[in-house]
Amino acid sequence: MTYSFDWNVLWSGQSGLWLLQGLVTTIEISVIAWTLAVALGILSGALRTAAVAPLRWLASFYVEFFRNVPLLVWMFFWYFAVPPLLPQPLQDWLFEHSAEFWAGVFALGVYHGARFSEVIRAGIQSVPKTQLEAAVSTGLTMVQAYRLIIIPVALRLIIPPATSESLNLIKNSSVALTIGVAELTFQTRQIETYTAKAFEALTAGTLIYLMLCVTLATVMSQVERRFAIPGMIAKRQTGEF
Amino acid sequence: MKRLLVFLVTLLAVTGKFTVSGAETTLEKISRTGALTIGTRTGSPPFAFVNKSNEWVGFSIDLVEKAIVPVIAKKIGKEIKVEKKESTPQTRIPLLTSNTVDLIAETMTDTQSRRDSVDFSLTFFATGAQFLVKKGSPIKGIQTVAGRRIAAQQGSTNARIIRERVASAKLLEFPDQPAAFQALAQGQVQAYTNDGIQLAGLKAKAPKPEEWVIVGEFYSYEPYGMAMRKNDSDFRNLVNIGLMDAIGSGSYFEIYDKWFGPKGEVPYPLAPETKRFLQMQVVPK
Repeated sequence: MTYSFDWNVLWSGQSGLWLLQGLVTTIEISVIAWTLAVALGILSGALRTAAVAPLRWLASFYVEFFRNVPLLVWMFFWYFAVPPLLPQPLQDWLFEHSAEFWAGVFALGVYHGARFSEVIRAGIQSVPKTQLEAAVSTGLTMVQAYRLIIIPVALRLIIPPATSESLNLIKNSSVALTIGVAELTFQTRQIETYTAKAFEALTAGTLIYLMLCVTLATVMSQVERRFAIPGMIAKRQTGEF
Repeated sequence: MKRLLVFLVTLLAVTGKFTVSGAETTLEKISRTGALTIGTRTGSPPFAFVNKSNEWVGFSIDLVEKAIVPVIAKKIGKEIKVEKKESTPQTRIPLLTSNTVDLIAETMTDTQSRRDSVDFSLTFFATGAQFLVKKGSPIKGIQTVAGRRIAAQQGSTNARIIRERVASAKLLEFPDQPAAFQALAQGQVQAYTNDGIQLAGLKAKAPKPEEWVIVGEFYSYEPYGMAMRKNDSDFRNLVNIGLMDAIGSGSYFEIYDKWFGPKGEVPYPLAPETKRFLQMQVVPK
């Protein structure tokens, strides 16, 4: 009644290559989805603070609708429910060109966009109102004031929660395996299939996620220090509160 | 960073130790808890599935309850009940090694590499992989899948064979049958490959069974066995005796008929050579 560990399965055969391919797919899907999420987040986050009520409603609807439905459901939605709505030639083209990958990108991007939106709204609302008034009084239009003054400041304020959100996005990309995207978790299962060594494969996957996320967190804390606005977000230095 | 690494290595070492230790044999565990816990499936008719009246039943489950449990109960001298837990191709080996379940009774193919991690009972069913396609599809078997989009169940032996034999086929792997079938029905994939008997089950359960055809010769050999923790031969012996007694006495064939007979869940006549093979596995008392 023992389980004998055999770590060799991770570097013998194709396991190493699969893990690498999985890592690359995880990074690809995460980067594209992250870009989409940030774009949607900035847009809807800004709209949620807009003076025009219908725009606020529209943004609120987007946020509440997309963040309050489980990600798994969104995966199935983008993969199974959306393609039949498209014209036949486009459907065929999509199915030939990794429809599952793009469904995964949309599911992750739109879902996390709604979550980013809240982070960005919090950032915008923490910029003192006087800055907006000052910006507008220099002759900038409202859009210019947001684009040139408010959002750049807000983005710097939200680096810590946005980092958290980004790490969540990377880890949530594993849900895409339910629609057949061959990302990192998928590949660890693949290794398990071929070698029947589940614990070794899962451990390898865990360590790769951990390294990926710790690396990103480290980079982001550098970015945070580099772009900190003195007096608005504390520059972390030793011995200082 | 260094400290983090040290911490992780320690954690691994500690959890590693916990996993490998375990003093109790399976029979002792069954005797103590009064229950045999099996890992089985909810969506693989007719082997293990939830039926219309919401009962968790099937051919594999019947074999456990009617053939194996009586033998174990007699051996340990008390009544035992069967507890069922959901297992999937990815979770079944960890479920066993972590002592969560004692026996995997579903549609698990016995393979040499799996025998590195678990022990198998004798073969209780034999099938082979085929393809499920829409009527009129150009796919006729493994010779015609090159360049096509093929769905497979993740973690199955068929996916592995397709990948090795027809590298140009675009293989999409889904965690369960319903997702794969949905992809087939909508055209994301052009065929779904799995063990022939599973496809027959899926077809029988489809809203319009006449729209689907199972094509191709068996391109693999899939002997189903029940998996157990390694090196526990007393328990394995009882499982095998249960199966052998059922085949020898003919009760296996009654159970077979209940699920695969003309009036069964998935009509699938037992081939004479398969019957002979099952009987040859029965060793004398």
